[in-house]
Amino acid sequence: MELLTAPFEPARRAPPTAIWRPLVGVSLAMLAAVGMGRVLAGPGGLAGEIGLAVQGTALHGGFIAQGLVLALDGHGAWRPAVLRVTGTLLAGFLLSRLSPWGGLALLAVPVVLRRECRGFPVLARIGALGPTRRRHVVIGLAAGVFLGAHLLVTSSRTFGYSVSVPSLAGYATALAYDVGANALSAEWLFRGALFSHWWRRGGFWGAAGTATALSLTRYLLDPALPPTAEARAGALFYLAALSLVGALLRAWSGSLVPGYLAAIAFFAAYRTLVVG
Amino acid sequence: MVMEGRGLDSPLRHLYVAPALWAALRGGASAGGFVGLMAGLFLAPLLLPAIERAGAGAQAVDGVVALGAPGLLGVIAGHLRDQAHAGARRLESLLEIQRRLTSSVPLPQRLDEVARLIRECLGAHGVALVVQSPEGPALVAGDPHAVVLSPRSAAAWSLAVGEKMYSRDLEGDTRLEAPRASSPMPVRALVLPLTTGEGPAGVLAVEWLGELPQSTAAAAEEMALHLALSIENARLTLRQRHFAAELEERVEAATRRLRAVDHAKSEFISVVSHELRTPITALEGFSELLLSRAVPPERARRFLDHIHAESRRLGRIVTELLDLSRLEAGVAPVLEREPLDLGAHVERQVELFAGVHAAHRFHWAPERPLPAIRADADAIDRVLQNLLSNAVKYSPRGGVVRVEARVVEGGGVEIAVTDEGIGIPAEALPRVFDKYVRIPSPETTTVRGLGLGLSLVRSLVEAHGGRIEVTSEVGKGSCFRLVLPP
Repeated sequence: MELLTAPFEPARRAPPTAIWRPLVGVSLAMLAAVGMGRVLAGPGGLAGEIGLAVQGTALHGGFIAQGLVLALDGHGAWRPAVLRVTGTLLAGFLLSRLSPWGGLALLAVPVVLRRECRGFPVLARIGALGPTRRRHVVIGLAAGVFLGAHLLVTSSRTFGYSVSVPSLAGYATALAYDVGANALSAEWLFRGALFSHWWRRGGFWGAAGTATALSLTRYLLDPALPPTAEARAGALFYLAALSLVGALLRAWSGSLVPGYLAAIAFFAAYRTLVVG
Repeated sequence: MVMEGRGLDSPLRHLYVAPALWAALRGGASAGGFVGLMAGLFLAPLLLPAIERAGAGAQAVDGVVALGAPGLLGVIAGHLRDQAHAGARRLESLLEIQRRLTSSVPLPQRLDEVARLIRECLGAHGVALVVQSPEGPALVAGDPHAVVLSPRSAAAWSLAVGEKMYSRDLEGDTRLEAPRASSPMPVRALVLPLTTGEGPAGVLAVEWLGELPQSTAAAAEEMALHLALSIENARLTLRQRHFAAELEERVEAATRRLRAVDHAKSEFISVVSHELRTPITALEGFSELLLSRAVPPERARRFLDHIHAESRRLGRIVTELLDLSRLEAGVAPVLEREPLDLGAHVERQVELFAGVHAAHRFHWAPERPLPAIRADADAIDRVLQNLLSNAVKYSPRGGVVRVEARVVEGGGVEIAVTDEGIGIPAEALPRVFDKYVRIPSPETTTVRGLGLGLSLVRSLVEAHGGRIEVTSEVGKGSCFRLVLPP
């Protein structure tokens, strides 16, 4: 027990943090890349496709990079790892733009990220490493399935939205996007790095609330969200619920995997909903 | 479903509160909140279309309230139930802790049990208990693992300054020099001093994995307070037991001493009677002879010599008895101190004894001419006579009695009287200067005396401001060494 064994100095202060410089650098690079992607996407055609791929890569790669910087407190060789993950993301996004089934390449991103994590044992602190028990996985999946099913039932009953999968390739690509980019980067940054960071410095509900608020902001700013009021209200409710469930699962299991699976299950249901 | 087709108008929609309340009462806030949330979520697909149809208005508000009510009630009812349960469990644990602390099993074992109880009650990951011991190093108990206390640790700091220490996350706490671990959950830690009226009596250190509710932290503080009181009570009980045992031992020793004194007094009376009887018998006998018949002058003179000798002996006994009465009254002997040539005095006494006790050999060996000291001549004579007399009495015929003298630091004089007698057993040495004490030995049964001589010697030496001590070895002899101030 460290309270009885570790040397203690009540007046010792924390060394100045080294986190801000890399964090600001990563954020600026992310914004610049998103901007560049928008510029490229403007005229359409092949350049437009490349631009959209660059935007997606910049956004999700930026989230993953920010999470890594936060988790490592700005120390360590995080740049090569970020470059490898971002490269995989870019390849996935480009393939998804160029081929109907190419988006499945995004499924490689979690594998690459998991492999990169092994170089940083301290990432266990955000729940990115370590074993995940079967019951945690089952509960995570069940929570996601329940929320997704609830979304489908409620929105179809309330607003008359239909549930269908018009194109298998499109559905698979969207699902691969959730697995390799959308759910992955959101879990990594909001429930992994940010929630863990604040939870260690305060209470659970404060950390979960703040991480959820930031997560909702990210989705509400997403141009892919349907612009109708009821869709935004629904998104607000379900994404907040999903985020809080993710935080609860992260705190309960000590791992990001159950929350990640819950998000995938939820988005798998959401992708079948035809809004409008 | 009972509400199908009735929507917002159905009064049965509030039935969804029932499972939430049931779960709250059974499983607490988390169960109540979860079941309430599920109830709300199950209700939503039924109510939301009705709200959509009704549009914004009172009915919509009523519907939203109906959706939120199960969860809210589940959480509130569960929270109240949790508080009640936690209070009851805490009270139960406190009673159990007090019971354990006052039990008769050894303290380290008791502390281990108490640490386990605290960990269970507080739902902690680890608990350590440090209790300062007045007799030795602090006692440390831990659960689930045994622990040792480092003098530079947070617990030692809290014990020294009597302040509490809280860490939101032990792994990221820069005040601790610990290798940074990689636990996926924060390790909350609390070190609480167990403060009693006499200052910190110990420390309670607790670690939690994950969340630490305010109520649990408050419970830990309350527990520390009770622990401090219990430890103080246990210590007082222990001290009382020690005191009672010590008192019993002292009373027993005093009783033994009193018995010994009583026995010595009885013996003393017997000896005195005998000592008085012998000269009186002689006086009676010789005086009757002189009175009843005509005795030739030579025999008459011899009888008169005997009468004289016995009357002198009687006089000595009476003097000793008078000394005894003074000793009993605790009155210090009255001295007439004047400059005294100690060397000449010692030499005269040695010569007198050598003349009377021809069977013994006396050696008088002053280191160099002794300085004059201020002393009472009669008292010094009695001291020397007693010591020489003892040396002669307890030495075999032909034994050597050695008298030495030397000047000691400060200008005083040390006189040592050494014999080659039977010696004094080591266990009897501390009592040798006590009143009435005669060391029982088969070899000294024929030796006459009241057992007052050495007691008188000590009082006379101490009245001069000096001191006396004895060393002895059974079978080899004794040495009485007295120091007189200048």
